[in-house]
Amino acid sequence: MPALIPFFQWCDNTMIAKAIRSWQMAFPIIENFHLLALTVLLGSLVVLVLRQFGLIYKAQPIWEVATALRPWNHWSLAVMLTSGTLLFLSEAMKCYDNTSFRVKMLFLFLALLFQFTIYNRTVASQDKVAPIGGKVAAAVALCLWFGVGLAGRAIGFLG
Amino acid sequence: MSILSMCQWLQDTDIGTSIRESVWIFPIIESTHVLALSISVGLLLVSDLRLMGYIMKRRPVSEVYEQIKPWMFTGFSIMTITGIFLFWCQAAKAYNSIFFKTKVILLIVAAFNAIAFERGIYRKVDKWDNALVPPMEARVAAWASLVLWAAIITCGRSMAYTLD
Repeated sequence: MPALIPFFQWCDNTMIAKAIRSWQMAFPIIENFHLLALTVLLGSLVVLVLRQFGLIYKAQPIWEVATALRPWNHWSLAVMLTSGTLLFLSEAMKCYDNTSFRVKMLFLFLALLFQFTIYNRTVASQDKVAPIGGKVAAAVALCLWFGVGLAGRAIGFLG
Repeated sequence: MSILSMCQWLQDTDIGTSIRESVWIFPIIESTHVLALSISVGLLLVSDLRLMGYIMKRRPVSEVYEQIKPWMFTGFSIMTITGIFLFWCQAAKAYNSIFFKTKVILLIVAAFNAIAFERGIYRKVDKWDNALVPPMEARVAAWASLVLWAAIITCGRSMAYTLD
């Protein structure tokens, strides 16, 4: 998508990008926050998915587990998006040529879209046993978010 | 034989060398190690938050903790196995890393913290199972656990920057 090159160049030249590049420790520190937030984000999702599959916390209705975890899911997502944006800005041009980065952005787009349109509705249910649709949605959400994580890790390994 | 030369020997074994030099095996093991964080430390977070009295307060502590425990242990087993292989293929380099040494010490402290919790206040959980906010000893163990694991993750990530 060569049409996007000027945008990536602009990102690469922002003040923030230059500031991060100018201090060697900045990138590792931001990436550590990115990783800690990943633990919280995927961890809270795994718990909810296990609940939807009826493997844990069967005494609690699904919405109750979802409500307990929601703040943790939201703030960790906010930290991930913020730290991820900073990491991206600091090496925007490298990301442009990186296939794993493109795959990750696709997964991220699908994961966010799926979560906020379909998945969040399935976890709002009063049921103690998730219907088959809810279980499918849980599996899809899990695959999409782990896809984001896996593609993210691949940015460094595969290019 | 010094520890360093043992590490060097381990790193130079056939298994160590082939993992290190493989195009796919190393990234697969490393990615598994990272993503399994969510089923080890991610689930630990949920039980620790209950122990701190922040979430699922209306549910018995033992219910929140016991049901999640087998999954958590599955996660920690994956972490241990993949971690051993990651160490195996770069043992000498890891041995020279301050982050790796710190990580190992923190892992031992975290293990003692977990054992102290299980053998200590958790034995009397019947008395505080329904407490909205568990007793101080349990909350301290939960805080210690989260702080230690955040530090362990940070050391793990940081050592990767300094290995090559």
